[in-house]
Amino acid sequence: MTNPFVFKGASEMPKISISLGDMEWNKTGAWRAQRPFYEDKTPPCRAACPAGNDIVAFIQKITQGDFEKAWELIKEENPFPGICGRVCFHPCESKCNRGRFDEPIAIHALERFVSDFSSNLNKKVEKISAKRREKIAIIGSGPAGMSCAYHLAKLRYDVTVFESSSSTGGMLRTGIPSYRLPKDVLDREISNIEALGVTIRTGISFGEDLKLEGFKDHQAIFIATGAHRSRGLHIPGEKEKGVLSGLDLLRKINLGKKLKLGDKIAIIGGGNTAIDVARSVLRMGKKATLLYRRSKEEMPAFEEEIREAMEEGVKIRYLVNPIRIQQKDDRKRLECLRMELGEEDESGRRKPVPISNSNFFFEADNVIIAAGEEIEVAFLPKGMERREGIVLTQKDGSTGIKGIFAGGDLTSTQRTVAHAIGSGKKAALAMDCYLKGNDSEEAIRQILIGEGSSLSIFRYLHPGERPMNPHVVTFEELNMDYFEPSTRRRESKSPAKKRIKGFGEMTASFTESGALEEGERCFSCGTCNECENCYVFCPDASVVKKEEIFSHQVDYDFCKGCGICFSECPRGAISLKEEER
Amino acid sequence: MKKVITGNQAVAYGVILSRVDVISAYPITPQTTIVEELSELIASGRLSTRFLKVESEHSAMAALIGASTGGVRCFTATSSHGLAYMHEMLHWASGARLPIVLVNVNRAIGPPWNIWSDQSDSLSQRDTGWIQLYCENNQEVLDTILQAYRIAESVKLPVMVVLDAYVLSHTSEAVEIPTMEEVDQFIPPYLPEYPIDTQEPMSYSMIATPENFLEFRYKVQKAMEQVPEIAKKVEDEFKARFGRDYGAVERYGKEEAEILLMTSGTVTSTSRFVIQKLIQKGVSVAGLKIKRFRPFPIGEICNVIKGTKKLAIIDRNLSAGVGGIFAQELRAALYSREEKPQVFGFISGLGGRDITPELIEEAIQYTMDHPRPEEEILWLGLKK
Repeated sequence: MTNPFVFKGASEMPKISISLGDMEWNKTGAWRAQRPFYEDKTPPCRAACPAGNDIVAFIQKITQGDFEKAWELIKEENPFPGICGRVCFHPCESKCNRGRFDEPIAIHALERFVSDFSSNLNKKVEKISAKRREKIAIIGSGPAGMSCAYHLAKLRYDVTVFESSSSTGGMLRTGIPSYRLPKDVLDREISNIEALGVTIRTGISFGEDLKLEGFKDHQAIFIATGAHRSRGLHIPGEKEKGVLSGLDLLRKINLGKKLKLGDKIAIIGGGNTAIDVARSVLRMGKKATLLYRRSKEEMPAFEEEIREAMEEGVKIRYLVNPIRIQQKDDRKRLECLRMELGEEDESGRRKPVPISNSNFFFEADNVIIAAGEEIEVAFLPKGMERREGIVLTQKDGSTGIKGIFAGGDLTSTQRTVAHAIGSGKKAALAMDCYLKGNDSEEAIRQILIGEGSSLSIFRYLHPGERPMNPHVVTFEELNMDYFEPSTRRRESKSPAKKRIKGFGEMTASFTESGALEEGERCFSCGTCNECENCYVFCPDASVVKKEEIFSHQVDYDFCKGCGICFSECPRGAISLKEEER
Repeated sequence: MKKVITGNQAVAYGVILSRVDVISAYPITPQTTIVEELSELIASGRLSTRFLKVESEHSAMAALIGASTGGVRCFTATSSHGLAYMHEMLHWASGARLPIVLVNVNRAIGPPWNIWSDQSDSLSQRDTGWIQLYCENNQEVLDTILQAYRIAESVKLPVMVVLDAYVLSHTSEAVEIPTMEEVDQFIPPYLPEYPIDTQEPMSYSMIATPENFLEFRYKVQKAMEQVPEIAKKVEDEFKARFGRDYGAVERYGKEEAEILLMTSGTVTSTSRFVIQKLIQKGVSVAGLKIKRFRPFPIGEICNVIKGTKKLAIIDRNLSAGVGGIFAQELRAALYSREEKPQVFGFISGLGGRDITPELIEEAIQYTMDHPRPEEEILWLGLKK
């Protein structure tokens, strides 16, 4: 019916006001002062991910049972879901809005699950055949170099990776113990990159075997040689026999080299390397004690790792600072000072201050120093600027030398796998812009995620697809009426007693039902998951569904702009704007 | 079967016998024992009525509006402040033409706080479009509820059945209780005129613009105008089945009398006693019980007041600024009539004070002694 009902008089009318016709003649949309529209916004997890993973999208695929598609979605941005799912410090979970409600989503475990699930399918990776003519060299096969190689290969470049070590992976292989990251997971994800057509040449040391002049036929170079040098303590006795650097020790263990260690090991440091060393020697049947000069609150190692280390029997002595390492018979004798916490330093942590005359001795068979890592500078080409222990680059990863880019631990103090992956990706697209003569800064600006700490190469490759407003959804913008408290699912972990028997992986991947359950917990912040709340609530039946399919469209002929859809959307995926007339 | 039961129990029997589908109510003295009785029967499984618990009287009526629109027979009971709280929804029920039956146990409205009987609560709702029936004894209470559903469902208007607090609600009398089978023959199942059909969805009680609103109200008035005739037919049938009738009004005492005393509710019973006594003394007086207040039974009244010179009314209510509400309604209705007796408007018994035989006699005496009232409001038993 297109016109309103007109009654001649009471005799024609029903007893009560009921709808005898319909109201389609009344285009109530004309009353609208504000216009609702579907607009995905940035979830805080993704904004926090240095690798730029589209986390909500892949979790949605998990909840739909499409694990393989979830894997593909991660791999749009990050070639290492199996690795990140295991060793990433998951800043996504710290920012997860669900953490304000009950417990954050176990994003890392879901990422690992889809990677393990998909690799079990043993699908062959298709080689990218048609290549561009430009050749690109990548120095270093760690997460930054391999991430860069992966994205460049997908951009159809001819990529060769040069690795000084005899095996690939950089710190992923030599620095991370296999109880946290099994070598087969690393091998599988690197070989997936190789299978795209990337050439990897190991045992070639940049600066020694291969000088810069040797790259004449390459149009661009990405240097990601990492930070492999252990920082010294600068105390007497640290160069003596029986004193090792943490990184050296881990490298030897990880590469299966012979090691001679006594029973009681003292580890100096409080970072992740110190913890990795302590837990590794424990697995070799030794006793491990960490000596850390600040207190537990200031420890840079991840809390969960500290907890697990202590479960396994690692002893930690806080507020202790070694000042001298002496030889006493076959053993090492550390002279230490007790410390107390003073004022905050520039890192915001309270600075340890020695207590005078508090000297004491600590005996051990070996001393391992894990007091931080530094970059190797000897081989770096002239003209690359450095400051405070890192190579300086532009926002796009370019260095002072034309055609040379750098990334990973070499250029950052945020030395995590995820940051390295993100920097490799950024360099890949900056090199693409450089080689095509485009403005890389503008290109990066277009594809920044959220507040801009990471970027999406998917958006670079597919402009306009899956648009996402950079606004990061806050907890307050969600509608908690639609969520029930639930418990975060944890990966099953073997007991500490069993774990220390060897270097086998200590956690197990989620089961399919476990992944589905955990995925269901996701609020899907800012991202429509077609819950249809808006469809149910719209008092004007103006949310359009076509043959049972949700269309993300509003019928503006009738939408009065009441905003109920906006306020009842559990996840902030609907926006309101003032109507322009 | 005869049982000695309170007025509130008589209500409960009436509800059970009427096969009510949905009850929703909120407790308030002196009504509470009505829904207590019913809810206990429902809880014990002896009554299959659906009982909706709510957080207020407003919600109780709102719930019944929903249920009644859905096409089922509904009941609620309340008093005083509870009825006042329903006010908005009372309009809605009549405007939506829903045949809901409500029992109001008359109780004064505070402040001062008071739980005893007067008619201010129900009479405050006189403009809400509800039919109002005032009862004199417990038998009448039960019988009126049975008739109320018949009337409501015929004219599609809600009915308020009213009884006095304590004097009826909590006082036991012998009441003849009809059987279920008998009542089933008297009250047919309720069939809604505009049933809800999910296959044929419609809006109910949606907007009517100025084009149509007046006509909807006109229809409500027309339905009210049908009530005298329909109520009489219903009561004639009731009498044929059960042997009892009450009428919209009832005249008693001398057939030809100069003075007529008009009352409603339980004061009528006291008046019957006083008038009988005065007649024996040779006073020319008769009584007039008003049962139906809405629609106001002016036709029925005029039929029985021929030759009356003076009409005394005892109002157990007060519309401050005017006086007694029955008196006010009566004066307004008589204005256009040829025969206009003098109306003496007495106010008495507010907040549950007894209206004693002495006070009633005083009112009659005053009416006899004065050619016309000296004041618009005549206070009976006021301690100055």
